[in-house]
Amino acid sequence: MAGLGYILRRVALMVPTLVVILVVTFVIVRSLPGDPASAMIGDRATDQDAARINAELGLDRSLPVQFIFFVERVFRGDLGTSFSIKLPVSEVIADRLPATLILTAMAAVFALLLAVPLAFLAAIKRNRVEDVAIRSAFQVGLSMPVFYTGLVLLTVLGAGLHWFPVGGYGDDLASHFYHLFLPALAIAVTLAAILMRSLRSAIITVLDAEYLDFARSKGLANRVIILRHVLRNAFISTVTLLGLHIGTVVGSAVITETVFAIPGIGRLMIDSIYARDYPMVQGLTLVLAVLVSVIFLATDLIQAALDPRIAR
Amino acid sequence: MRASFRNMAAALLVAAGIVGSLSNAAEAVTRGGTLVYGRYADSLFLEPVLNDANVDIWILSNIYDTLLLPTDDGKSVQPGLATAWKVADDGKSVTLTLRDNIKFSDGSPITAEDVQWSLKRAATPNNGIWQFMVESIDDVVIQDPKTVVLKLKHTDPAILTALTVFNTSIMPKKLFEAAPGATDADKAKAFAEHPVGSGPFILQSWQRNSEMKLVRNPYYWRQGEDGKPLPYLDGITFEVIPDDATRLLKLKSGELDGAEFIPYSRVEELKADANLNMVLFPSTRVEYATLNVRPKLSDGSDNPLSNEKVRQALNYAVDKDGIIQVVTHGVGTPMTSFMSTATPFHSGTTPLFPVDVEKAKQLLKDAGYPNGFKTSIFALSGNEDEINISTTLQQMWAQIGVTLDIQQVDNATRTAKYRAGDFTMRLGAWTDDIADPNEIASYFVYSKNIGALHTSWKNDEVDQLFEQSQQELDPKKRADDYAKIQATYNATGPIVPLYETPYPVALKKSVKGFVQIPLGNNIFSSTYIEK
Amino acid sequence: MTAITQDTPVRRYSLRLSWPLVIGGVILFAGLLLAIVPELAAPYQPNAFDYKSILKPPSWAHPFGTDNFGRDMLSRVIYAYRVDMEIAVFATSFPFVFGTLIGALVGYYGGWAEAVLGRIVDALITFPLLVLVIAIVAILGPGLSNMYIAFGIIYWVFYARLIAGDMKVQRHLDYAAAGKVMGYSDLRIILRHLLPNVIVGGIVYWMTDMALAILIGSSLGYLGLGVQPPASEWGVLIAGGKNYMSTAWWITIFPGISIVLAGLGFSLFGDGLADLLRPRR
Repeated sequence: MAGLGYILRRVALMVPTLVVILVVTFVIVRSLPGDPASAMIGDRATDQDAARINAELGLDRSLPVQFIFFVERVFRGDLGTSFSIKLPVSEVIADRLPATLILTAMAAVFALLLAVPLAFLAAIKRNRVEDVAIRSAFQVGLSMPVFYTGLVLLTVLGAGLHWFPVGGYGDDLASHFYHLFLPALAIAVTLAAILMRSLRSAIITVLDAEYLDFARSKGLANRVIILRHVLRNAFISTVTLLGLHIGTVVGSAVITETVFAIPGIGRLMIDSIYARDYPMVQGLTLVLAVLVSVIFLATDLIQAALDPRIAR
Repeated sequence: MRASFRNMAAALLVAAGIVGSLSNAAEAVTRGGTLVYGRYADSLFLEPVLNDANVDIWILSNIYDTLLLPTDDGKSVQPGLATAWKVADDGKSVTLTLRDNIKFSDGSPITAEDVQWSLKRAATPNNGIWQFMVESIDDVVIQDPKTVVLKLKHTDPAILTALTVFNTSIMPKKLFEAAPGATDADKAKAFAEHPVGSGPFILQSWQRNSEMKLVRNPYYWRQGEDGKPLPYLDGITFEVIPDDATRLLKLKSGELDGAEFIPYSRVEELKADANLNMVLFPSTRVEYATLNVRPKLSDGSDNPLSNEKVRQALNYAVDKDGIIQVVTHGVGTPMTSFMSTATPFHSGTTPLFPVDVEKAKQLLKDAGYPNGFKTSIFALSGNEDEINISTTLQQMWAQIGVTLDIQQVDNATRTAKYRAGDFTMRLGAWTDDIADPNEIASYFVYSKNIGALHTSWKNDEVDQLFEQSQQELDPKKRADDYAKIQATYNATGPIVPLYETPYPVALKKSVKGFVQIPLGNNIFSSTYIEK
Repeated sequence: MTAITQDTPVRRYSLRLSWPLVIGGVILFAGLLLAIVPELAAPYQPNAFDYKSILKPPSWAHPFGTDNFGRDMLSRVIYAYRVDMEIAVFATSFPFVFGTLIGALVGYYGGWAEAVLGRIVDALITFPLLVLVIAIVAILGPGLSNMYIAFGIIYWVFYARLIAGDMKVQRHLDYAAAGKVMGYSDLRIILRHLLPNVIVGGIVYWMTDMALAILIGSSLGYLGLGVQPPASEWGVLIAGGKNYMSTAWWITIFPGISIVLAGLGFSLFGDGLADLLRPRR
């Protein structure tokens, strides 16, 4: 049974994962061709300029030394200073994280609202008109790259009907939600399609397995029991899938934030990679890893709570 | 007869006077309002000496001020924080008279000490990548509270122009030195978060990669047409919208008052829009392909591009008008020299290498490549223009047997390989940062700076011409030097010149008085929004 | 004699040619044909420039219109079938096979293998795939094969986790225990009895994954990191037509419809397959 011990054990297991992630990021980011000076100063600079800047950034020291410096600073809670923006990494991340968090949460909610009820409908009316219509509609959602969906939404609902602003983020919490409505919808369209398909299949499996038995032995009154059983299984699958696809959602956020001009960490991640902003990429990866691990823990706990067979 | 003639003349004058004042009334500026301007990328570091990028340079002039200002055509200078200037007869010193009553945006007066400190800081060796523009400054001497004298190491024909460039902005010495930090770079970082300059606007807030807000500087020295100090606007809000399509959508929906870098494919569409002014500002921007001319490539194979005939063949095979049509939809113009027509001392009236496919084939045969060869080009990933250019080049060069492999890479990768000379061809664009040809010449032509765009192209005569022109004070002789430099480089140089393009900016019809000068600076000081 | 309990799924593979299977199969087969011999269907060469017919709307000469180089869009969309079918299949096959196997093993045995898998899964899924692909492509160079490598490195974990989860549930059911009692080897139990029950979820996801792979390919095209010009791929076509959405809508719409059709083919076929494999009583 999932108890405090289980939680603590999982948290403790997060640490080696994070360490591996840190090391891998450190290596990958320094394997990227080019260097921060090249990214920053562009074509005009001379080799001396580049060497000077790289030295100022501490990149002329050997890799192991750089890694030790980095780890030592992380333990002190200092994620370093961004090469390109010249502000502390933690400050920049704290500034940009909320936008992506709100966007992701809204996208997940929209996706669930779209996928769950319609998956049920499609499963119950399997292979009938409703099922085909729903699946075809969601297929369109699965076929539209998010930048295209976003642009269409902006053109029609933003610039066309003026129901929503054209991109941007807004100044206060209420206007954040308002500005993030369209981008969340753009992401949700694809996410809902992914969820709907697997959900529908899972529901069908359970329905097939349970329905005949009950129908044979107990009679129609136990529709409720079937439904509760189906619901629970469906919920487990959805939660698992949603957790698995957080990475996909954050990845879509990268493109969505660019199209909708949202100052979130998706774009920050891409910009930092292009800028070879090592401290920023490392800091972002660490923060993201912690966040996603926490989400996983949450989904695993929910799954374990609902399905005792798993928690052993 | 004479009397009636005079009466008629008088009547005409009066009439003209009335008409004149009527039209003046129609042009009267309206003060107030905040302009919302859409940018394609956010600034990084708003510090005049240590910044690295166009995204910083092009709006620095709104926060900081220089001793001299560029004229709107970008070709000469006008008074800025200095009202008078005199270059000594021997050309080795410049005396500048400071304007009266100039203040920083916090109200403190701009003193000769601030000027001295700012210029010496900009001229400090290894301090920033723009130091080369003022490397001739040896010392800055304060003659009296209103007069500053620059002592030069050698004669420098471009020193006055250099005083209009962003890195010679006058900054408050006391405030900067009081900023926290041990080194100049650290202090600069701290200072740049709350910069204090003497430009028309003050930085009020900056939400990174989202929104930058500037407000009016009440202490700005320049006067407007209505006799009151500039700027007319209460403030500017820069919104960062990296996606072209979204930026245009926001402009068309009315949420932006103006937007920069309109994609060429949309220019015609915006021209037809009744609510917008689609303006094409003359620029110093040139687009070209750079060819590595080393005898061997980095993988050890022979480099066909090292042969001058091959380079000429490649040039003749390119239909520049075709590229201008397909890539810029007619917005660009053919290049008549490697430097833009807006660069001072530009010479050349005919487009370079008019297309001649037969001649190209013959040149290739003469060079020993009758069946062509395989080569590759680096294009910037995701950049629509570069993809279109390289696709077109690929097709055009296929006609003469040259197979072009397109490799999209990101900026950091390309720049690193470029600097190491580890490339075959790459696309590039250039805008001048100073209204003088010496910058573009030192990068494109001069072998001792970056080896002529890292291609290792070298021409001793041209090197010598360049060095002597750097100290030549007689503009006629300098023009002559540059004419020779251009003639040689255009005929035998390591580039394929493609086109010049203006800066495409779209503004609401109510926005007046905005100008983007050929150097790229966005000038908002005289901008106003008509009611 | 096999003890049949309430939980034993009985295999009954009647070849039910459900209509999703048929229609999906037809669409996929047509797509396969176009991918193998596009020359038969495409009226023009996909890379043939025609400066006189730039940005022309759909007409008899050009049913899908032309792009900004005057290239025929119908031909480009057809030739893109090859590229996108390749992306859909190659990018997802290795993850499917490898992930299913690992997931089956880990789900059955559990224990430390499960802990390790859990950590690896966590580590890999933490990275947004797009970001990792960008990094890998930046290191290895642009192009499709490097995109497949990136997919291969990360995507197998989805299948592994999915299969492992389902396998854990199945393992505890009575028929699995029955098999052990019967003396069947672990491998036989996994492959012959448990896997067919759990693989349904995997197959359904595989079909989704193929559509997702095409979408990611197109996002990479948006960023310039996928297929290199002048090759045509649906995503690159859409990304290239982004700026012409109001003036030349045909450049983005037709590739978009192709993606819908291809994806529909995959998912209908996959659903039909899942219906086929799903245990019946």
